[in-house]
Amino acid sequence: MSDSYVIIGDGIAGASAAETLREEAPDAEVTVLTDEGESLYNRILIKEYAKGKLPEAPISIHQEDWYDDHDVDLRLNTVVVDIDVDEDAVHTHEGETFEYDNLLLAIGGTPQQLPVENAEADGIHHFWTFQDARRIKESVEDAEQAVIVGAGLLGIDFAAICGAQDVEAKYLMRGDNWWRYALSEEGAEMMHEAMRERGIEPVFGSGVDRFEVDDDGHVEAAVDPNGERYECDFAGVAIGLNFNTELIEDTPLETDDGVVVDEFMRTNVDNVYAAGDITAFNDLVLGEQAKNGSWGSAKEQGTVAARNMIDYGSEEFRWVSSYSITHFDFPFLSFGHPTLGDDSVEATTADGEWRRVALKDGKVVGGVLIGDLSPQSAFKQLMREGRDISDHADHLMEPGFAVDDLPASPEQ
Amino acid sequence: MSIRESNRQLRLRRTGRMPSDARVRHFDELSDDEKQLVAELAGRPRTAPETDTLEDGDVVKFTDYYLVRSR
Repeated sequence: MSDSYVIIGDGIAGASAAETLREEAPDAEVTVLTDEGESLYNRILIKEYAKGKLPEAPISIHQEDWYDDHDVDLRLNTVVVDIDVDEDAVHTHEGETFEYDNLLLAIGGTPQQLPVENAEADGIHHFWTFQDARRIKESVEDAEQAVIVGAGLLGIDFAAICGAQDVEAKYLMRGDNWWRYALSEEGAEMMHEAMRERGIEPVFGSGVDRFEVDDDGHVEAAVDPNGERYECDFAGVAIGLNFNTELIEDTPLETDDGVVVDEFMRTNVDNVYAAGDITAFNDLVLGEQAKNGSWGSAKEQGTVAARNMIDYGSEEFRWVSSYSITHFDFPFLSFGHPTLGDDSVEATTADGEWRRVALKDGKVVGGVLIGDLSPQSAFKQLMREGRDISDHADHLMEPGFAVDDLPASPEQ
Repeated sequence: MSIRESNRQLRLRRTGRMPSDARVRHFDELSDDEKQLVAELAGRPRTAPETDTLEDGDVVKFTDYYLVRSR
């Protein structure tokens, strides 16, 4: 009898696992369950759709016939309500039961809501799915004034959407600059200036204390903790994700701000694996447990999980992720874990070019490049090698930096 | 990314129109080597040897939309 694999989630982690299983275990029974009403789409291009820059067609990755062609049983609009790891079965909202030999959890997250008055009013949007993007596009096209909350990598997508749709927006930030955990004010100011050029005004030392609504329950203003009132008919909230771990609360699966997996993507239950945003994984590059929400990381985790479900121990997840912002006329790329570390070096290397590298115990653990992406491969190489560069960190700031520019390490 | 054994050269041309059948990829979907290549070619009159994965007619979303040309 062939092995059966059940995958919960049809994002890039679940879909790459299904592809890998089909390629490397041709006789396996593969079932994919998703609560979404559409099959795999390109989650990192939906912001371009919301900006009005891209039609729907190129965003779809797997048409439904892909699953038929690859003998993968796809169940859309299917909510898993219970996982029974003793019986190796999952149960859905419609009372169906799917038994498995191996289970993959690729269940991702759900955007957090602001814990403030009227946070669920009409006109207040969160951004995660293609359906969210469609609603945002429709809503922002009718808007004149917007408020954006969430000074991170997801919040800036809202800023770009408003800018592209000619909606004036106030971008309310609690701190003194955008993505303050990864950028200094000097680096962030380049991003602020790009926002201003598109009609988005960053407001620092702010945030949202409550939303006000009109008689129809539609948002009409945000009031910040200083009492300042910002009128808006559109609000974008991107303050982070809640990981969908409620599904496994009654199981013995270990969680720690996500599903804990080893470097083979296996949980503490031998035939249950996890991949994508949901995982708290053993990061072999960083040397500790980590989380990562980038597209490339999720895709690789799905592939690695599939290989280890077929043959446990066959492939480790060892990955340096990166995430770019492509909304402006200059490039921005973060890599690794730029918000971690115990030290950092940063510099403006030329007009419009800035970089920062985060270090931990003298080793590169992440960074941010603005304007000039040329050192990305070198920095990632240093991170993968775990090379101690504590005596030479300033070299990283030199224009045209290459790994060969560093003095040879003592063991070489 | 590996270099294809041909004499064809890649270049990137900024494009405002999206061919309906184009494969559109975001910069973050590319391999590290492809990222390096796109960052070097985008907006510059430069060429590089053709690769296995960036196809003629592909569109890459980087700081703008860029059409991949292989000639």
